[in-house]
Amino acid sequence: MSLRRATAAVFRRELQLFARRKSDWANPLMFALIVCALFPFAVGSESERLRLIGIGVIFVAALLAAMLSLPRLFDEDARDGTLELLLMSPEPLAALLLARVAAISLVLGVALALLAPLFALFYALPMTVAGVLALTVAMAVPTLLLIGSIAAALLVSARGGAILTAVLVLPLTIPTLIFGAGAALRVLQGESAASELALEGAILLLALALCPPAAAAALRISTD
Amino acid sequence: MARSEQQSNERYGGRWFWRYASPSAFFAPAGRIETLCWVLAAVLAAIGLYLGFFVAPTDAQQGEAYRVIFIHVPAAWMAMVIYLAMAFWSLLGLWLGTRLSFMMSHALAPTGALMAVLSLWTGALWGRPTWGTYWVWDARLTSTLILFFLYVGYMALAAAFDDRRKGDRAAALIALVGAINVPIIYFSVKWWNTLHQGSSVRPGSSSMATIMLAAMLIMTFAFWAYSIAAAMHRLRTIIIEREGNAAWLRASVLGGKR
Repeated sequence: MSLRRATAAVFRRELQLFARRKSDWANPLMFALIVCALFPFAVGSESERLRLIGIGVIFVAALLAAMLSLPRLFDEDARDGTLELLLMSPEPLAALLLARVAAISLVLGVALALLAPLFALFYALPMTVAGVLALTVAMAVPTLLLIGSIAAALLVSARGGAILTAVLVLPLTIPTLIFGAGAALRVLQGESAASELALEGAILLLALALCPPAAAAALRISTD
Repeated sequence: MARSEQQSNERYGGRWFWRYASPSAFFAPAGRIETLCWVLAAVLAAIGLYLGFFVAPTDAQQGEAYRVIFIHVPAAWMAMVIYLAMAFWSLLGLWLGTRLSFMMSHALAPTGALMAVLSLWTGALWGRPTWGTYWVWDARLTSTLILFFLYVGYMALAAAFDDRRKGDRAAALIALVGAINVPIIYFSVKWWNTLHQGSSVRPGSSSMATIMLAAMLIMTFAFWAYSIAAAMHRLRTIIIEREGNAAWLRASVLGGKR
């Protein structure tokens, strides 16, 4: 089987799983929605105040929702034997993992990006800000999933799953959080967000280049 | 004696230091290094603290409060240096498959985390009189906090595996991922916010009084010595824990009695 067919098969399988088990994408979206709805109860409902925290809340909620879907990356496959087949494939493991992360990013990244402008309404943010927020969420979710795939791969055979994933992954997503939320903040202040957007994209590209090989190495370590 | 050394040289590929990649060969030297470094740390800390607290002049702007830098700055430096050392041993372990390298990483992590906490704590104590607040979200404080998170993640991951070999290599990988991320995090946090006063120690053009600088450098060496001593002590403990059943260890711990 050629590399292209193998990655396409992995990609398609992931999309099929999403299509057949709707809770896999619906639950993270519901989670983000609920988190965004919680904050006004805690800080008060004046739109001035909400506008100040809105960008940060929406961005962090999107990152947390994406992080919650990390265990699905390998846990089930380790149980039903799919992982063994991936590991035994003659094609480079990094490419197969990249195909999976790409499929999940496509579904969750796009869905969360589409929801971000809706959440922006909760927080009385102008539409221009909502648009930039959608763009940066669409870049941040794949970045988080790429970094997270390393941790998820390491933790396939370890104790402490979800919480430990969060402890390992969240500190590493701070740069993408800074530039992603920073871009929207710039627009809110009426300035140009070009440099933040460029840096956010640079981080995504760096993660694209470095994370799949690291995740492949991690998977080999944990399934050794 | 000379003959056996030569024999082991042949066995380990002609380089004498490769011998010490084995826990059994390094156990005794580690003990000697530990003792030496404890003594060094105590002496240097005594000199450095005396110079810093009693000899160095009072700062014109910050009064006596600035004296916390004799602890704060060395701790902050050590927090970074130890992370680099941890990543170095992790890389070596993954590359060469040497058990002792992983043990070295494990031995360093708690000291590094301690240094990060110490620098945050003393930073807060310094910030209260000078900035009027215990905590500000400036680049260096924030990066140190994130560094602390990375140490905690490393230790938590290492502890999450029942299989030691897996835990070693998994933790080593995450140490490397962290090491690649540290500069990215540092520069993005710096971009995000810079309130901190400029770094006052620069090679060549230092704005500090000579005596202050001397005290701080002596304290830095004291912290180095302490960190090495603590790491060596922990390394020996790890070796005993992991190789407790080995004959050589029983022999050396029981003082040659079999």
